[in-house]
Parts: sequence; C-alpha cells; structure tokens
Amino acid sequence: MLIFSFFKTLTDQVITVELKNDLCITGTLKSVDQFLNIRLDGIRVEDPERHPHMLAVKNVFIRGSVVRYVRMAARAVDTTLLEDATRREAHNTGK
Amino acid sequence: MEDAVNATISEPLDIVKLSLGERVFMKMRGDRTITGTLHAYDAHMNVVLSNVEESIHIVDVNEDGIPQAPRVERRSLEMLFVRGDGVILLSPTQ
Amino acid sequence: MDALIPFTTSGSLVDLVDKKVLVVLRDGRKLTGVLRSYDQFANFLLESTVERLHYKFEYSDVDIGVLLIRGENVVALGEIDLIAEDNLPFVEIPLDEMRDKLAAQEKRRERDNIVKDKVLGSLGFVSDRHEGDAY
Repeated sequence: MLIFSFFKTLTDQVITVELKNDLCITGTLKSVDQFLNIRLDGIRVEDPERHPHMLAVKNVFIRGSVVRYVRMAARAVDTTLLEDATRREAHNTGK
Repeated sequence: MEDAVNATISEPLDIVKLSLGERVFMKMRGDRTITGTLHAYDAHMNVVLSNVEESIHIVDVNEDGIPQAPRVERRSLEMLFVRGDGVILLSPTQ
Repeated sequence: MDALIPFTTSGSLVDLVDKKVLVVLRDGRKLTGVLRSYDQFANFLLESTVERLHYKFEYSDVDIGVLLIRGENVVALGEIDLIAEDNLPFVEIPLDEMRDKLAAQEKRRERDNIVKDKVLGSLGFVSDRHEGDAY
C-alpha cells in the first residue's frame, strides 16, 4: 500500500520504467494500481532498434510483475516524508 | 543485552527498517549490484533508493562461442524504485 | 468513488477498448489486434489478432483471429498510433525466411547464454536470463 501511494504521488511526472527484459520506456505516469501495473502516455523507448515493435506505440500499460526498476527525478520525491510514511507503515503492520 | 537486541531485530525485515535513511548494498537478479540511500520499503522488499550506483556484470561471447573477460557497466541514478522480486539480498553498508 | 477509478487496472484501460493495440508477451511474442475486453488481472480479449515476427527492421505476419490472453503472460499492452504505423521503415519478408532467421538467432543466443552462465556463475551470480531474454 505504501509503494502504491508513493506511485500515486508521481502521477503526471515523467518517469522511466525499466523492464526485466532490459526494455526502457520513458513517459508520463498516468495511472498506477494496487499491483503496481503502470500506465504511461507519450512514450519513448530507449534503443528502438532492439525493440522495433514499439515504434508505433504511443501509450502503454505495463504489467507490474515485469518491472525491474522505475527511475525518476530526485526532485519528484520528498524523501523525509517517504521515510516517515515507511516507519509508520512498518509500525502499523508489524506486531 | 540480548533482550535489547531482540527488541530491535525480531524479524528479517527489521534490518531493512534500521537501514532507513542509510546507505545499503543490494544484490539483484540479472547480474547486478546496487548501492543507494534507502528511503522506503515494504514487505515484498520493494524499495526506493536515492543516489544509486548500479553495476551490471556482462560477459560478451564472440562468434566462436568464446567468452571475453567479464566487464562491469556502471550507472548512476538519482532516484530509483526497485521491485522486490528482483532482490537477492540487502545489506547495510558500514 | 469517481476519484478512485484512475487507480485501478480497469480505470487505466477503458480508453483502449476498441482500439488497435500491441500486446507483448513474456515469451517474446508480439500480437496486434483490437482490444475488445479485459479485467483486473490484465486478461485481454483481442479480435483480428495478428502475430508479428520481427528481425531487425524486417517483419512477417501470422493471422490468428480471436484470442484470449491470460494476464500473467502479459508484459505490456500499447495503443498503436495508426498514422505512425503507416510510416514505419519496415520491410515485409516471407514467413519461411523469417522463421529461418529467428531460428538462427535463437540458436546463437542459447549457445551464448550457456557460456555466459558458466562465467557469471563462477562470479557468484544466479542465472535467470533464459526466460528474461526473450521479450
């Protein structure tokens, strides 16, 4: 739930999703759900020659389970807030 | 003394909790290691790190099937979400 | 309630229904078709489905028809820009020729992966590139 909420705060930011097959997709985060499935609009693919099938795709839904990393700008994240929320969540769910 | 230790670490993920705001080292699937400052985690070991240094270990194989000497590709990333299912281990760096 | 809709699988996919989409599967297959239905597991129902085989900028198509895809096999679903699609620098080649090229590529990859696993295994890394490499 914490990470889901974290991604919701990134809505409308430009992020890069790196999949487990090394495909990197950059786009504007439009939506995320509880499985961390991600919807990106206005996408651009790194290394299109290795992934020619993505050239005509403009918006993409990515299944959460195939994501390796999500890269974002440091200014998009309030790290103090995030650490506090993590401690609170750990406190509430643990024992 | 032993009780004091048990109070802080009673389950594996407590070591992650104690590392919040600290530098951590992670070994990942896909021949990767990363270090970064830990800002968030959950029960799946999904984490959010900043000032990340990633090392990818690569072996190139030539036409004849002979492996070249392993090389390491390094990347710096300012803010990174790492999905927990790719994590092999997490360790606090001193 | 309205505010919650964008944050569900259903909420993020409504606008893709009846659009031409590309579905990438975990085994590397690329399917295009018209998205007719889906659910919260990202199961997809496609109509007029075509499997497209790619080798660099060459391609071949295989007609499939109606297809129900189980969500766990899905990597991504993309909306195809019909104008951009017409301007792609792709060349269609015969299916047999494509299959030969892909088989040769796959054979090389399998051989290389065995070699890579041996070297990286000795450095203490776990091998998982067999499933990960395809898609």
